[in-house]
Amino acid sequence: MKAENPRQIGARVQRFEDVRLLSGVARYIDDIRLPNCLHLTFARSQMAHGRILDVDTSALEDIGYPTWVFTGKDIGDLSMKAHQDVPEMQYSEQPLLARDVVRFVGEPVAAVLAEDPYLSEDAAEMVFIDCDPLPVVGTMDQARDPSIPPIHDGWKSNVFIERQMKGGDLEAARANAAYVVRRTFRNQRQTGVPMECRGVVAQYSPGDRMLTVWSSTQMPHLVRTYISEELDLPESRIRVIAPEVGGGFGVKGQVFGEEVLVAWLAMKTQRPVKWIEDRRENLIASIHARDHAHTLEAYVSKEGRLLGLWADISVDVGAYSTFPFTAAGDPGMAAKVMPGPYDFQAYEATFRALASNKCPLGTYRGVARPSAVFSQERLMDEIAKEIGMDPIEFRLKNIIREFPYKNVLGFTYDPGSYAESLEKIREILADDIAAARETRHSKEKRIGVGLACFIEQTAHGTPDFTRRRVPIETGYIAARVEMQPDGTVVIGLGLQSHGQGLETTMAQVAADALGIDPKDVFVRHGDTLTSPYSVGTWGSRGGPLGGGAVHLASLKIADKLKAIAAHQLQSNKDQISLGGGKAYITDDPSRYIPIRTLARQALRNVENLPEGMIPGLEAEYSLDGPRDGTYSNAVHAAVVEIDVPTGKLKLKRFVVVEDCGTIINPLVVDGQVRGGVVQGIGSALFEHMIYDEQCQPLTTSFADYLMPLAPELPNIEVHHIETPTPLNPIGAKGLGEGGAIGPAPAIANAVSDALGVEVNETPLTLNAIWRLSAHIRGEAS
Amino acid sequence: MRPAAFEYHRAASIEEALSLLAEFGEDGRPIAGGQSLVPMMNLRLARPEHLVDINSLELDKIERTGDTLSLGALVRHERYFNEPLIAEHFPAFLDAAHWIGHPTIRRHGSLGGSISHADPSAELPCVCVLHDATIVARSVNGERRIPASEFFISAYVTALEPGEMVVAVELPIPQRKQHGAFIEIAERMGDFAVIGIGAVLELDGDTVLDARIACAGAELTPVRAASAEQFLKGRQLTEEVAQEAGQLFAQSVDPVNDYRSSAEYRRHLIVQLTSRTLMRAMKSKA
Repeated sequence: MKAENPRQIGARVQRFEDVRLLSGVARYIDDIRLPNCLHLTFARSQMAHGRILDVDTSALEDIGYPTWVFTGKDIGDLSMKAHQDVPEMQYSEQPLLARDVVRFVGEPVAAVLAEDPYLSEDAAEMVFIDCDPLPVVGTMDQARDPSIPPIHDGWKSNVFIERQMKGGDLEAARANAAYVVRRTFRNQRQTGVPMECRGVVAQYSPGDRMLTVWSSTQMPHLVRTYISEELDLPESRIRVIAPEVGGGFGVKGQVFGEEVLVAWLAMKTQRPVKWIEDRRENLIASIHARDHAHTLEAYVSKEGRLLGLWADISVDVGAYSTFPFTAAGDPGMAAKVMPGPYDFQAYEATFRALASNKCPLGTYRGVARPSAVFSQERLMDEIAKEIGMDPIEFRLKNIIREFPYKNVLGFTYDPGSYAESLEKIREILADDIAAARETRHSKEKRIGVGLACFIEQTAHGTPDFTRRRVPIETGYIAARVEMQPDGTVVIGLGLQSHGQGLETTMAQVAADALGIDPKDVFVRHGDTLTSPYSVGTWGSRGGPLGGGAVHLASLKIADKLKAIAAHQLQSNKDQISLGGGKAYITDDPSRYIPIRTLARQALRNVENLPEGMIPGLEAEYSLDGPRDGTYSNAVHAAVVEIDVPTGKLKLKRFVVVEDCGTIINPLVVDGQVRGGVVQGIGSALFEHMIYDEQCQPLTTSFADYLMPLAPELPNIEVHHIETPTPLNPIGAKGLGEGGAIGPAPAIANAVSDALGVEVNETPLTLNAIWRLSAHIRGEAS
Repeated sequence: MRPAAFEYHRAASIEEALSLLAEFGEDGRPIAGGQSLVPMMNLRLARPEHLVDINSLELDKIERTGDTLSLGALVRHERYFNEPLIAEHFPAFLDAAHWIGHPTIRRHGSLGGSISHADPSAELPCVCVLHDATIVARSVNGERRIPASEFFISAYVTALEPGEMVVAVELPIPQRKQHGAFIEIAERMGDFAVIGIGAVLELDGDTVLDARIACAGAELTPVRAASAEQFLKGRQLTEEVAQEAGQLFAQSVDPVNDYRSSAEYRRHLIVQLTSRTLMRAMKSKA
């Protein structure tokens, strides 16, 4: 007889961390309260571009309480550097406090410390920054205008980098095309808006020469490495802790100047220093995202086959290159993923990062893919319309069906369910498509259905970053699994969990390999002292790479447990299985030893171990991504209802069919997808970081920077197809970002369907929809 | 995002509040729910040196005196929904209340606060203008009764003098049955309106005996639709007539143009929403 071992991978396990998160006992960065602490407020530039004449701090002398103030002159050459190692790149360097020139509104100019955060904010107001205005670069046209001087000294133009990617014979595709469809698309500037803003606390303890930095970050080890290099301290004497992190979404997936500066200030003042970012700073000066302009030209045969694609990609990346993904990150990613899930073998893309006097661009959930898929999937609908084909039929005609598939740029796609997802969504939407058709001539109410079919390269690792030549350099994730004498397990995880539910999913993975209850697995993360070196949590890599590493490290321990059990049961370790907290003979489960007994023997009663076995139950594994990553796929569909006279859009339905390979925990996957979709709806309809002509940000509070709220959201329906990847030990692909990728193109396609017009820009605000429906009201648009 | 230093005073009586406000003049501000004032202070857009907390004053009564319904300045928005006198006599007011912010804002925010803040796109200033309300303001020098049409001077600017505060809003109870409605369009539910339209009708069957229409969000203060109101009198209210009234109203205003909404779109919304609000008011008859 065989034992029944319910698998934990795939089980709907309630998240362990929720007890703490939902009961108010979780400790976030602002909960770190140290005695004798100084509070930091930045005096930030109010001018978008100007030469600093003077930073006058004399008013602080008479303020009536102690203050400490530092300007760019006081900090030596400390700066943020993020260079892509290619000859075309023009480098930018951002001093931690601006020295000669300010290049965007919100750039830190002076650091003001006081013994109370109210007092430091009052004092920072009294720092007078005298600047001579310089001409601003505020638009992509201005950035490409040779008559406007570059914003960085020694630069030849305001282009950080311009490069090309190509594959196949595009000339032949063009020559053989029966249809050439060219469109230009634009996605607005946004920001990622974690619920908790950034924050850093640092303390230097001279006794053990230890610098401890608490930061609300997604990448504690990288923060440590950067601080070590910039402040010239040994990494072994720096401990970086990410406490509870209230959302990151990629915004906290870079190393920030503030993190380095707070550490430096703590050493300089020999007192703990704390900086808690406020919402205004977060909106104007943390990290911005999107801001893409694409022109695509597709070459299509008479029969409706895609033959080739030409792309021109510009991204306004703001004033400085950010660490570690650099100014080249977004445009490079857009060019790389533009071929998408479709079968064609000729492609050419020119992509460039343009500088402007705006907040630097960084990573935000999806990283360029929301914009790339927007252009790709809007174009698919436009081509279908032009050649008179149903948009789903047209996609099915061109979709990749055979795997592994080597795409036009040489990337190999592992198996997925591209065609099945499309078929499935067509079935789900049949009634909506029919209902939409009936409103086609209405001047009052229009219904539209739109979809976006996409793939996402996930679990990418070192090979991908080596190709990109960016300072992230590496991509493996490490896990150290230690079984304790009582049979419970501690995992030191190189990932950092800020909403992904990793404390639960990683425990599920370990539990399966070790045959124990996931409740007996405690996942420690976000602390460089207790976690093995890794690059942090971002890029839809945690599930597959973290999960794979935990699985493989756990298997090493499982192997040792089996060896001990075999020794005691006078069996062979190949005959032993682990499950239900027991090590048992596979063919006779009545003969078993509790795993906790084995653990005790491995760690305490070591005299019972087999001859020569070294005590201990500890194993570490570092798992890197496969050469080209693994490719998740999904189809998102939106059903919209538009009140034509007012332009009011109602999202009636939002459906996701997704395939992320093996699902570790369906509750977590559904939550990730829904959360991402909500952010994608924000991109589609509301969120817009608006600057005026002088590059002054206008949307500097939540009254102006609008995010979707509950009343604007439909129930988000999530359907799963599971195609485990052979490239990962547990078959998992990444899924953290996918939710945010599909909504903007799906909704834009739905609006296009409803109104019968091209929809080439986001966000689709009231004004935008009203303008797009002018023809229905009989006005010239 | 922390307020500049201020002193906090809790007034135990109206007299004490008024005397404190008189003492502080331009540097003092009364505070009730703080739904607008506190965010503005946190952004340091408002920097009162003294806050006079009026929450414990007895200014939260809703009472009828003869032909007047008086609402105290401290009446919280959520109470409008449970007040039979509002439902009976001021259906447009009740309809508008649904568009005010979110439940938390409606629980804490006060009538006097919203009126004194005078956001151009807020519902309550518009409702006051629509219903020809009288704003009752007091200071140590006594009481002033200011018609709503004269109270709102510009965006965030009212006729209140330093040291003066709103103590009540008086609404004249109509002689005959009135029908009313309020509709607005905003990017998201609970946001300040791009355009909000309130309408009150006195009807004989489908024939309009009297009409009042007001708009929030178009100009720097709420505006009335004199020409459209005049046009409607004596006419049978149909979709076409309602559209025409909307056109007349739209022609008579000069909408603001900002980065979120063009003047053109606002003008268009005035036409559409005036028409819809009039029809909704009429349909509420049933």
